[in-house]
Amino acid sequence: MSEELLEQFAESSFTAQPAIEFRGVSKTYISGTHALEDVNIRINKGEFVFVVGSSGAGKSTFMKLIMREEKANTGIINVNGFNLTKMPRKKVPLLRRTMGIVFQDFRLIPTMNVFDNVAFAMHVVGESGREVRREVSKALSLVGLGDKARSMPMQLSGGEQQRVGLARALVNAPELIIADEPTGNVDPNMSYEIVSLLTEINKRGTTVLMVTHDHNLVRDFKHRVIMLDSGRIVADNAAGGAE
Amino acid sequence: MKIGSIKYLVKEAFKGAWANRLMSLASIGILVACMVVIGLAILISENVTMAVGNLEKENVVMVYMKDYNWALYSDKLELPDKPREGADKNGILEDDYVIHSDDEAKELCDKISALDNIDKVEFVSSEEGLESIKDDMDGQEDYFDFLNDEYGNPLSSAAKVTMKEMALFDKTIKQIEKIDGVDTIQSHGDLAEKIDALKQGIYMAGFWIIAILVVISLVIVSNTIRVTMYNRKLEISIMKAVGATDAFVRIPFVIEGMIIGIISAIISIGVLFFCYEVATEKIGVMLNGSVVSFADVALYLLLVFVAIGIFAGAIGSAIMISKYLKREGSEFAAI
Repeated sequence: MSEELLEQFAESSFTAQPAIEFRGVSKTYISGTHALEDVNIRINKGEFVFVVGSSGAGKSTFMKLIMREEKANTGIINVNGFNLTKMPRKKVPLLRRTMGIVFQDFRLIPTMNVFDNVAFAMHVVGESGREVRREVSKALSLVGLGDKARSMPMQLSGGEQQRVGLARALVNAPELIIADEPTGNVDPNMSYEIVSLLTEINKRGTTVLMVTHDHNLVRDFKHRVIMLDSGRIVADNAAGGAE
Repeated sequence: MKIGSIKYLVKEAFKGAWANRLMSLASIGILVACMVVIGLAILISENVTMAVGNLEKENVVMVYMKDYNWALYSDKLELPDKPREGADKNGILEDDYVIHSDDEAKELCDKISALDNIDKVEFVSSEEGLESIKDDMDGQEDYFDFLNDEYGNPLSSAAKVTMKEMALFDKTIKQIEKIDGVDTIQSHGDLAEKIDALKQGIYMAGFWIIAILVVISLVIVSNTIRVTMYNRKLEISIMKAVGATDAFVRIPFVIEGMIIGIISAIISIGVLFFCYEVATEKIGVMLNGSVVSFADVALYLLLVFVAIGIFAGAIGSAIMISKYLKREGSEFAAI
């Protein structure tokens, strides 16, 4: 794609403001590994999208590019109205404040109780006092942990810990939730609960992008499915339900 | 930045220092050792400066003048064999010498005073000079009285000069020599040079000791902060993920480093006070008690220590956290 067309695309996509848009994106690491090749994808605001693919398919790189942890070698990426191609490093925190991240390994701070773990996400973006107390309580109620605010992470089950992680991702009211195999470390019943919660959050208008290996979840929740293989998008099923 | 955020960051810094207390204590210990050595270097330097100051005050230069006595006794003035017209009974004309009265001698003293490096000038008449010598030659006063009665006072008028800076000794001597009416200058130039060399040597040694120990302090604090940082790797990764700026991540570590530095400074001043009191009690007797009082330099030392503590703490941790953020700051997305 010519530079001129790329520029035009960047302009038009900014005005359209999709949640995520990749156009002609390729990423090759210094080691020579071609992680992504000519990826073109558009995820609209309010969509719920599963990202599937085997190990080494390019899922990690795809997510890292969205979070601007890595930069693309070619192509244009727009996320939540930010043109990531031109964005300087110092603006990365602003981009990340528009997204909430849910990790496979929960990443809760073991020395903080549930409330403080969630409040932590608000403190680091400069919130304090009453606002924090109100929003954290709201987020914990939403994930069904209103009564566990004073519990320590170690006292919770895997599913509950992941719900705390979800509350932390939600508490700053992000436009986009990025969930990295959020059900990878929880039992099947809890997996359904987590995805149901994400679906509920999605219905309220938040875009959700979830990486998963769980075929049953992809089959049972009828969301759009993007399949990656060898750095390319090999399937994009808007109707969902099948891989 | 909001007040709430600042409070939160300061709280986090104290929590970090406490959570990592063993390491914090170890670095406080090493910092205290460094600061005490720095303090000792400063105190030694202060004491030497005081001692040198005393020596400088005693290092007096005698400037002898071309007055009547000089004309009469100096072998520099060759008088003709034949009596000259207008000469006095000793064959001396007024034009043979420059200083004709005490007033003129005092004027010469004023000219010396006007030079840059002069601390004090005292006029010593020939009579006072003789008395002074008699005082020094205890028990031989009669001999000097006899000489004086028989041959007259051989001493000419003089100026007793004290300089401000011994480093400028030679330059000042040359300036004095150029003044009309000055005959000879009796000085201890070698001593001045030695004193000056000693002073410079101690300053240089002090400077290098302080510079090296400041660098060591910096490395110590950096390493402590590095341990804290790795202990809080998870928190940093979450901070980055939810959109904390690098500055926000950095501040608690910088404050933690500063806390370690300030605590070390306060302990150091106490340790140094104890060491110095014990040392001066023993050594002070040998030096006739002429040592610098700790109270006189305590505030200055505390300021130096706090400055070193804050500098080492802030810079040491800032360097480390910046390195970390550059290398591993984005590891949160280990998908």
